[in-house]
Amino acid sequence: MSALVARAAGLALAAFCIVGPLTSLAVWSLAERWTFPSAWPQRFGLRYWQRVATGDFLEPLRLGLLIAAIVTLVALAMAIPLGYALARLAVPGRAAILLLFLLPQAFPQLPVFASATREFYRFGLAGTIPGVVLIHLVGALVFAVWTMTAVFRAIAPALEEAAWNLGASTTRAFASIALPLAVPGIVASAVLVFLYSLDEFTGTLLIGAPFVTTLPVSMYTASLGYELQIASVTAIVLMAPGAVLLLLLERFLKADYLVFFGQL
Amino acid sequence: MLTGRERVLWGALCAPALGVLGAVFLWPLGASVLASVTRDGALTLAHYETVWRLYARDVLYTVGVAAAGTALTFAVAIPACGWLRLRAFGPVEFLLKVPLFVPFVVVGHALRVALTPYAPGLVGSWSGIALALAWKHLGLVVVLLLGAFRGVDESYLEAARDAGAPERRLIRDILVPMSVPALVVSGILTLSSMLASFSIPLMMSRGGGPQMLMIDVYYRYGQHGDFATASALGVVAYLLAMGAALVYLRRLTA
Repeated sequence: MSALVARAAGLALAAFCIVGPLTSLAVWSLAERWTFPSAWPQRFGLRYWQRVATGDFLEPLRLGLLIAAIVTLVALAMAIPLGYALARLAVPGRAAILLLFLLPQAFPQLPVFASATREFYRFGLAGTIPGVVLIHLVGALVFAVWTMTAVFRAIAPALEEAAWNLGASTTRAFASIALPLAVPGIVASAVLVFLYSLDEFTGTLLIGAPFVTTLPVSMYTASLGYELQIASVTAIVLMAPGAVLLLLLERFLKADYLVFFGQL
Repeated sequence: MLTGRERVLWGALCAPALGVLGAVFLWPLGASVLASVTRDGALTLAHYETVWRLYARDVLYTVGVAAAGTALTFAVAIPACGWLRLRAFGPVEFLLKVPLFVPFVVVGHALRVALTPYAPGLVGSWSGIALALAWKHLGLVVVLLLGAFRGVDESYLEAARDAGAPERRLIRDILVPMSVPALVVSGILTLSSMLASFSIPLMMSRGGGPQMLMIDVYYRYGQHGDFATASALGVVAYLLAMGAALVYLRRLTA
């Protein structure tokens, strides 16, 4: 009995702490009028949700999806061969390369991105979609290279060794054995990268301004102007892909592809 | 195994990723370090004097907020993961992983609007920022810590249980001491991420008072156009992060 009470209490506490702030996003998105010190909105309504159908909202969403799709394709095209090489081939400086691809996660990004903005101005890349794609690629490659290396390491080498013994070249063995076996891992990696790009804020704010605006940036702009309701609506939309990913990971992928992170 | 032609082919396939990292990360990193120690082509420490004069308090503030946030994260994560290790309970485990998939900007905004009606004084204060940072980092720390706790052999726990140890003691005297490497690694990841946090403090920011270091970098560069001082601030942040990373590397290679 007491074990049951403990579980209920634990669940209630976790729900309050985790779901609480997220619920307040929903409440704010519906609050047409809420002034201090009232503990609850004075008037509820869908007025701010109707803005979702307007260009102010759909254009950043469309742009963000487009950028995320390009980033995902480019990052995987670069990371799949590199991941295979790091997992299987005798790459000089293997550990150093892996560590190098950890740097953008371990180092403060903002000063580096500010510096990149200056360089991008010189090449006319600031404020353009290619510029934002490039800055997203830095973080995206961290995820893609590490997951792809882990994915290829998790495939038993015996199959490729058999192919080599039968006279297949390394490239042939990669293309017809390792690559097809890696498809589930590639999908997992693509989902992670897509989500990273969709949610990326710092680089987009610096490089994209003032012409390329994605949802995280438009949310910041809304909150800067004290349009808390609009920002809350945007926040809820931004959370949706992550929620889907969380459910997918729980069901199908577990955390298998993430446990290799940070291990050389 | 690789023929000469294959060597060239694989080199060409692997080069673009390294090229992007070099051009869009390492090059700007080097450029900012260089800009922080030069003025009109001559070496100088003047930018660091500006940092010392204007931002010494903010550096301390940033370290303090990051330390408080890290402490809060682990004060919640250790008992929660211990509890989940001793009695698996799916729904709570699921809830604790949720912050992992909520974007940083959304966390900042969510905590801002959650606190605004009930504790407006907390929004943008050091404790509000530490709270929001802890909320966001709880997801990753729970994943890492629970993995470590689950790696502890059941027989140790059984032996202690047979000797009459309560759950609290199982966590304090067995799970935690046997998971020190994971605790150190996740602690460093959390601390250095909080030191470099930008979007959460930006979403919760208010006018005056001390600011997080990255907010200073942003305004110094974006509004004052002062890249050199912004870079010097950045280098201070790199050094803080590097101190944390060195401990991490020593653990990896140990």
